[in-house]
Amino acid sequence: MSYLNISVEDEKQPAGANGTSGDEAAQTAAFEARIERGEKIEPGDWMPAAYRKQLVRMISQHAHSEIVGMLPEGAWITRAPSLRRKMALLAKVQDEAGHGQYLYHAAETLDASREEMIDALLERRAKYSNIFNYPTLSWTDIGVIGWLVDGAAIVNQTMLAKGSYGPYARAMLRICAEESFHKKQGHEQVILMAQGTPEQKAMVQDSIDRWWWPILMMFGPHDSDSPNTPTLMRWGVKTKSNDELRQMFLNQVLPDLEALELTVPDPEMHFDEESGNWIGGEIDWDEFWRVIQGDGPLNADRLAARREAHEEGQWVREALTAYAQREAQAAHAPSTNGASNGAGGAHA
Amino acid sequence: MSDSQWPRYQVFEQRREGAPHENAGSLHAPDNEIALQMARDIFVRRPTCIDLWVAPAAMIFARSAEQLADPAWREGAPQDSTPGAYRVFAKTRHAGTHQFLGTVEAEGTLSALEQALETFSDTAALVWWIVPDSAFTETDPDDAESLFAPANDKVYRDQADYHTVSLMRNIRHAQAERSSEE
Repeated sequence: MSYLNISVEDEKQPAGANGTSGDEAAQTAAFEARIERGEKIEPGDWMPAAYRKQLVRMISQHAHSEIVGMLPEGAWITRAPSLRRKMALLAKVQDEAGHGQYLYHAAETLDASREEMIDALLERRAKYSNIFNYPTLSWTDIGVIGWLVDGAAIVNQTMLAKGSYGPYARAMLRICAEESFHKKQGHEQVILMAQGTPEQKAMVQDSIDRWWWPILMMFGPHDSDSPNTPTLMRWGVKTKSNDELRQMFLNQVLPDLEALELTVPDPEMHFDEESGNWIGGEIDWDEFWRVIQGDGPLNADRLAARREAHEEGQWVREALTAYAQREAQAAHAPSTNGASNGAGGAHA
Repeated sequence: MSDSQWPRYQVFEQRREGAPHENAGSLHAPDNEIALQMARDIFVRRPTCIDLWVAPAAMIFARSAEQLADPAWREGAPQDSTPGAYRVFAKTRHAGTHQFLGTVEAEGTLSALEQALETFSDTAALVWWIVPDSAFTETDPDDAESLFAPANDKVYRDQADYHTVSLMRNIRHAQAERSSEE
């Protein structure tokens, strides 16, 4: 069964429950009280089926985004303008692969299997961040992606690092620490290009013009169009709303863009003295939904690249498994898969 | 055949000499040796690790403070008789990770936890992990340099290598000077 369709029945926890709805309500109340007290929920703990399902959906889509996110930037590694930039870009793309792994493993602690998650991506049942369906057309896109795309991701991830599910929050802490390098290497490039020749400045302005709106879409639909947000906030899955995060991002980057004499392609963007916020015009939500539904510039290319990589890795996964089986047989010892001292994996 | 058939391992990293090993996260791998290699690839891209341990999650006996508060907690514990050394880990903050406290010699899993509670009685653990010594696969000291030292030279992975704050400060300073001259 697809993890996207987990039913309540599948999720019933054996510990201490006889499955009556009264127990379920009491367990949910105790669960919510734990979150209220700031406790982290760990893999073996009781959790509502909807909490597990939402986390698996979020964490796996986050993992897919890290992996697909290697593609637009990876395309520029061979064309980096200096060795320093090339090493930084290689290291950044390698980090994204590692972040995808942290996140797949975090989702696996919720009993989502890797195979199901990958299948859901390749069969278009699972999403990844829309931003990676746009093309990288020039080198300055790399600077803009590092500063603004990773910068937007960090705003979101800093919030997620305070989330209630332990393995996800801990993965986010590691990711945020590593991504500050991603953001700063991009920011540095944009600063230097903005102060360069008129051609360089025009190039970086063109990158911002193309990426600006897709970046603002990264935070997702308006709160008024996110019906699940209140529940997710009560459960500590999210601790800030989409619109709050988008506003934090605008307030973070607009002052620097202004100081660099770069503009955003939004004639309505202005600083509102009263609220202390940068406020712009409305996002083109038709484009947002169109790209999410698969009709962005590069959706088909991105999935084709993922499918090819997955199929070409098949023999490696098979070889690793065959090797482990042979070693286990040679040692006449039970494989670790079945070996257990009866301890069970709760909390582990 | 799928990755999901591979067992789960917990990964423990030591950040510097003398620091306790702490839980870095989990991964799924076909065997102990590959688990250790994968742990290095996934968790060590920065000069923040000098030693790694991996252990199958199925070999970890976990008990929360909440569970231990039940006077009958021993009844649900494994009653195995597997004498030997057991490593003891504790998580003491909700947002924290499991840290290695030390090793106890015990007759089995249950008595290892009892000894841990006594030996480390001043540790206010939220969750205890008891793991038989034999479950661990560790970095070979001969390999440590080749596994961990390369990260030291990759300063371009460090955010401090990018001076964006001072660059922006200089730009704003120059702009302020220009506007005060006008």
